[in-house]
Order: sequence, then structure tokens, then C-alpha cells
Amino acid sequence: MDDLKLLRDLGVELEHEPPATLRLQRESLSRSRPRRRWAAWWTAGLVAAATAAAVVVPTLIVSDRHTAPAPAAWRSVDMSGTRNVLLIGSDTREGPGNAKYGPQQARSDVGQRSDTIVIVHIPADRGTATAVSIPRDSMVAIPRCGSSPAQRNMINAAYDLGGAACLRKTLESLTGLRIQHTVEVDFTGFKKMVNALGGVEVTLRRPVDDRASKLKLPAGKNHLDGEAALGYVRLRYYGDGSDIARVKRQQQLVQAMLKKARSGLSSPTSLKTFLSSVRDAVTTDLSVESLYALATDLSKTELTFTTVPWEPDTQDRNRLQWKQPEARELFSGLK
Amino acid sequence: MITQPAVRGADSELVSASWTDPEAFAVLFDRYSAMLYRYVSKRLGPEPAEDLVGETFLIAFARRTNYDLAYDDARPWLFGILTKLVSRHHRKEAARYRALLRAPVDATVESPADRVAAGVTAQAVRAELAGALAALPAKDRDVLLLIAWGDLTYEEVARALGIPVGTVRSRLNRGRRKVRAALGDTNPMEEE
Repeated sequence: MDDLKLLRDLGVELEHEPPATLRLQRESLSRSRPRRRWAAWWTAGLVAAATAAAVVVPTLIVSDRHTAPAPAAWRSVDMSGTRNVLLIGSDTREGPGNAKYGPQQARSDVGQRSDTIVIVHIPADRGTATAVSIPRDSMVAIPRCGSSPAQRNMINAAYDLGGAACLRKTLESLTGLRIQHTVEVDFTGFKKMVNALGGVEVTLRRPVDDRASKLKLPAGKNHLDGEAALGYVRLRYYGDGSDIARVKRQQQLVQAMLKKARSGLSSPTSLKTFLSSVRDAVTTDLSVESLYALATDLSKTELTFTTVPWEPDTQDRNRLQWKQPEARELFSGLK
Repeated sequence: MITQPAVRGADSELVSASWTDPEAFAVLFDRYSAMLYRYVSKRLGPEPAEDLVGETFLIAFARRTNYDLAYDDARPWLFGILTKLVSRHHRKEAARYRALLRAPVDATVESPADRVAAGVTAQAVRAELAGALAALPAKDRDVLLLIAWGDLTYEEVARALGIPVGTVRSRLNRGRRKVRAALGDTNPMEEE
């Protein structure tokens, strides 16, 4: 048999059909901003881990043992009632420490993008908290923010236009929910949180050798410091390479952080030390006292993850729009 | 007739249209992204394929004003960009072929009818083929696979890699010779 024919047959055997998600690459093409591309990839990895960690870790780590009264210096804060917290994973390269995750970006001053947007709804009865992820490419009506007029645009444009305040205003008008607090996390903040926990443990089925994030890990149990954990959530060419797999890794890391926090922060003092470092690592209107109040209050609360129901945008098939009435129903169920 | 596919313009027309109307470039994506994806998925697997295809088009888009409009067909150009990107993953590619060396031949298709299918022959010598591919120098492998897996002609490969056609031939011959050697030169019908 002809060697080329044999090679072709081998090719057929090795071949994979393009997944539906290949079209998303077309979308980034039509945006024609090649320089921003890598940044988006790196940050997409950071997404859930950073944001979920920022709220999940402080709020869910506290077990019954932690009900000892707070040291006197801490005034107690009333955090009862329904609370909606907006989590923003930002890919800003500004500020010390962030530049090395995309120095070109920092130099060219392309601003910041909200690559992860999550609304965490904490009901008054503290039964089950719900984290709703908002796809950043959702085409939505953005209200007037400062000097920029109302417009239909991608939701992360709101963050670009008017920061967290504008994004919050946009989401409030879209969901009908009142959003009381915002938490913003960037690369450095995420690292600090992991380091504050003294690192986390993850078990890997396959070794990691990723040049992009300069991460090398053997298979099996690994102890990750902040830097390595950041590399891990930013991994792209690992597992089946899909976005779903990456989201799972991020959830795995959040779980690892929770586990570490629960076992390591056994006294109110160490919990507070940790929360203080969380407070320093993120940008939020929540005080350490509020975080502590939420944390102790939510010790028994379950957390569920969901995503806003979406469909391809009718005007631009490469963007998304919220699927109605499902999205409306989701949010009215959270009131 | 509605079912008749529209007569499609040359790729070069799309490229030149995209100089003023960037959206025109997306049509090239629709034409060739699946083809490029299949090609990379053979060499590197499905994991990086999606990103590499996306990156190929972004690079092509950024360089669209350099496109030589004398060429109607943009495939060689796109394959050339993609080949450079694939070369960054040479370790991963070699590891993929080596994994085939160890992997047992899939037994699920071993019905008598399947045995006579051409694919089974390739399966039977899969390890030899994979070993030969893993051992080939990158330049020879690029040429061999652009022809065997990318379905390009010699002239198209020459254009894709920016090398003379004569060089394509010599690299191809060298690559095929090594593949045949790995197969044990068992085929008496084979004649160069």
C-alpha cells in the first residue's frame, strides 16, 4: 500500500470535527483586536476562581465553631436581609504586580475589562445562595453612565465606560434586583488570597507543562502557592482544552480554597486575619466587619452556580443575548 | 435555483474587499476555519486546534494588506501562517505521535468486514507511521503533512512555506523515504 495513502488514513483516524464553539473565534476576528486576544484568554481562566473565591471563601468558610464573640475592637455590623453582591473579575494590568501578566497591555493603556461578571444572591433566610454568571458578550441595553449616553452594547462595555458603578447600574436595570455591594478582583488580588491561605492543594490527573503560564506540575497531589494557582486557573492547553473543563478547574480550585480555609482557619482570630488580607486583595465597598458578619451568618448556606439563560444575538450571531422569558424568570425568582 | 450554491468569488477578492470592509474577512473564516481545524486536530489534537485556528485568522487579518492578490486561493497563505503556529507546539506534536506508539489498536472495529477496510491497514501500521512522524525533522514533516493531511499541491506548499518547489519535492521525498523505511519497505509495488 502507498505510504501517502497510509498517512492519509492515519490522518482520518486522528481527525476531529470542529466544535460549535469554533464560531466564537470568528467573533474575536470581527472585533479585530488581535492584541487583546491573549489577555482575554488568560483572564478567562481567572474568572470564576477569583470572583467566586472572593465571596465564597469569606462567606462559606465559617463553621459552627466560629461563633465565639468577636474581639472588642470589631464593631458588629448588621448584614441581615437579602443581599445581592456583584463580583467582577477584572483583567486590569494596572497597579503593581499586574503588569507582568501582560506588559504590552499595561503599556498600551487599553483599560480594564470585566471578564467575569457574577451576581451572588444571598436570600434573607440564608438558605441557598445563588451565583449567576453573566456572559461578558451579552448584548444589553446600557443606561446613561456619566458622560456616555445610553446604548446597546456588550455588557462588559459598561465596565469600560463607567467602572463598577456603571456595570452595577446596568445590571440593576436589567435584572430588577437591587445590588448592594460590589467586589472586584484582579490577578494580584487572587494571588494574595491564595497566599493568605498558605497555598492550596489540588490533585492532578495529568502533569502540567504550560509554557504560556510558565507552569510545570507533576501528576498527583500538588501544593500551589498564589503564583502557581493563578497559572493553574489560567491554563488553556490542558485536559480537553474546552472552556467547560477550565471552568471545572476553577471550581476545583475554589473547592480547594474552601477546604484549606475550613481546616486552617479554626479560630476567629485567624479567620479575621484571612478576611483582612481578602479585604486588601480586592476592591470592595464591604468592610472587613461586613465580610465577617456575612461569613459567620452564612456558615450553613449552600451555594449554587448558574448562568443567565442566553441565545445567539438576533442582530449579531456572534454575540449573545439573554433568552427571554427565562432570564426574567430567573431574576424574578431571586427577589 | 435556490438550492444552487452561489458562485463564490475568489478568496483574493474577499481579502481586497476586507481592506476597506473588515467584515468581508469573516467570510474567509466561514470558508476555511473547519478545514484548518481538521488539519490541526490531526497534528495536535482538538485541545489547541480551536485557538490556533482563531489565531491564524487574527494574524491573517492583521496582515491582509500584504496579501498577494495575484493568488485567487487563500488556502496556502492560511496554511503557511498555521504551520508557523503549529511549530510552537512541536513537543506536544511529538508526544502525540509517541502516544500512538504505545496505544493499543482499537479493538472495537475488528469485525471481519472492517478488517478489509483500508483504514485497518493504516491501523495495523499505526505505530510505525507515528514513530516515523515523531522522528522526522520539523521541516520535512511540515511538507509531508501539508500534502498528506492538508491536501495541498507541491506549488501550494511552496507558497505556504515560502520555499522553492524543488525544495518541497526534496523534503517530501526525504520524508516519504523515512516513512517507508519505518514501514519496513514491505510493499514491492512501491516505486519512486
